[in-house]
Order: sequence, then C-alpha cells, then structure tokens
Amino acid sequence: MSEACQIARKQDLPPPGGYKPIPFQRLPAKQYFSGYTMFAMYIGITAVSAYLYNINAKRIAKNEIEMRSAKMAIYPMLLAERDREYLKQLRRNRDAEAELMRDVPGWEVGTYYGERVYKLVPPDTLIEPIFHEYYAHSSPTEWFRRAYHKLRC
Amino acid sequence: MVLTADITLPEESELTVEEVNLSTATLRAGSFHLGKYCEQANNEFMLCRFEEKDPRKCINEGKAVTACTLEFFRKVKKTCLAEFNQYTNCIDKSSGDFGLQHCRKTQGVFDGCMLEKLHMERPEFGYFTEVRVHSTNRPKPLVEEKAVYPDTTPALPDDAERKPARFGSRFYWMTE
Repeated sequence: MSEACQIARKQDLPPPGGYKPIPFQRLPAKQYFSGYTMFAMYIGITAVSAYLYNINAKRIAKNEIEMRSAKMAIYPMLLAERDREYLKQLRRNRDAEAELMRDVPGWEVGTYYGERVYKLVPPDTLIEPIFHEYYAHSSPTEWFRRAYHKLRC
Repeated sequence: MVLTADITLPEESELTVEEVNLSTATLRAGSFHLGKYCEQANNEFMLCRFEEKDPRKCINEGKAVTACTLEFFRKVKKTCLAEFNQYTNCIDKSSGDFGLQHCRKTQGVFDGCMLEKLHMERPEFGYFTEVRVHSTNRPKPLVEEKAVYPDTTPALPDDAERKPARFGSRFYWMTE
C-alpha cells in the first residue's frame, strides 16, 4: 500500500550552469547635455523669447493707443448725443410718474408724499437717478436688455 | 424718482437737433480727422461737461459738437466719398473690434485724398491721448467756499512753544 503511493520526486535545484547574474548595477539614462549647457540654453532661449515678446508687446501697445485715440476723438460727439437723449428720457420719466400717481392724494412727483430724497442740496440740482428708477416706467424687456447687456453681446 | 418738479429739464424741442446717424465703422474711420477738425468745439464741450458736471448746462456746446461733426462728414462726402467708403468697408470687415491696424493701405489712400483736397492732415500718432492746452472764454464756475463756523476752537498760534511729548509717542513701536 505504502509502496503504491510512492511518487518519483524531483528536488528543486538551480538550472544547469547556475542562475544568471542579477542586474543590480545602476543604468543611468543617456545624457545629451551637461548641466552647464542646459543653463546656457535656458538663458539663451529666454533672452530670444524676451526679445520677440518685446517686439510684439510694443506693437500691441501702439495699436491700443491708436484705438484709444480714435475712441477719444469721437467721444465728445457721442456724449453730446447721449446727454440730449438722457435729458429727454428724464422728462419722459417724470411725466410718466405724474401720470401714474395722478389719483394718489398728497403725492408729489419725485418725493415721498412731499418728503424729498436729498434734503441738503439746492432744489434745482440734477441728481442722476439710479438704474432701476431710470427704467421704472419702461417695459421689463427693455430693462432686461440693458441690465444683461453683456449676455447678448 | 429723485426728479422733483423743481428741477428744470429742457423741453424736448430744445433737445431735438439733427443727430449724426452713422455706423461705428464710419465714425471710427473718420475719427482722427474729425477730432482734429472739431477740436475747438469738442474741447469746449468736454470742458463744460467736466467743469459743470451737469448735462443740462452744456446743451448748446453739445449742439455745436454735433453740428461740427455733421459738417465734417458732409465735407468728406462731397470730396473723398469713394476713398472714405473703401476705408470704412475695410475697417468694418477686417476685425471684430473695428481695429485700424488691418487697414493701412486703404487708410493711406484716404489720408492722401484728405490732404490733397481738404488740406486736412492726419494727426500724428498719439495726438488724442496727449495733454493739449485749450484756450477758452468760458468763465470758470464758482467754487463753493469753505464753510466758516464762528464758534470754532481757536488754533494754537504759530509761535507757541511745542514741547516734546511727555510720555513718548502714541505709536508704541516708535521710540524717541
């Protein structure tokens, strides 16, 4: 019985001729440039880029100045036109408020039942209304158009 | 609203004049010659606007500016319309921000025409960004005087003796 269970066993041994040598030595990557060359290259490339950057920066600055000049030259005309339209709109707003609050007893235009908003300035001082007051009598579409102007363009 | 009935606003008829009905590209194309041509009116208006800080007081100056601009563009239309339109078209279609740097050739043609026919030279580079002296007859607006209070604490006379502080500086990190 015990003899039938006998299996030929083979001892685990090194391969014939022994194991290969273990590669434990460092294998550094190939070096194309020395440290000093790399420093020199860095400085050289930076210098050339700075030179090119300066050329472009000057050109861009010149163009910006030119565009600014063109805008400044037409600004008075645009401002004059805007002022006239603004004053027209202020009058329209005031008339609209008078019309809207006509039936309210004791209401005075531009005041809260006769109490002024700005008490210390002379009565004829033009105080520019804030955005929401300026657009108070316009349609919500117009309000939205102006308030979110940047969304559209 | 903050606009009371006391505030005088000009009538609509006073404010209605012929406006400059031109596109951005057109204005940008004519801007340099326009700024030079209408310099007096423009400076007068801007001076008024910045001194008075009130659009109601500068309506006449503003009307002069608009009239001058219209006059300028009418002159251009009469003499250099083809060159001007060519330049405007270039500015309009060359970039998204109406940049002038893309249109040097058409600009040269337009400038030559303006110089030849209207004797208007293009102002030199950076002319409108420089500080320019403007002579005017406008009276200076009155400056509000400082309020004088009769019960003010009298100031120390100039020749009063000023001793060093007895307990050092109030700034503790500073020593004598």
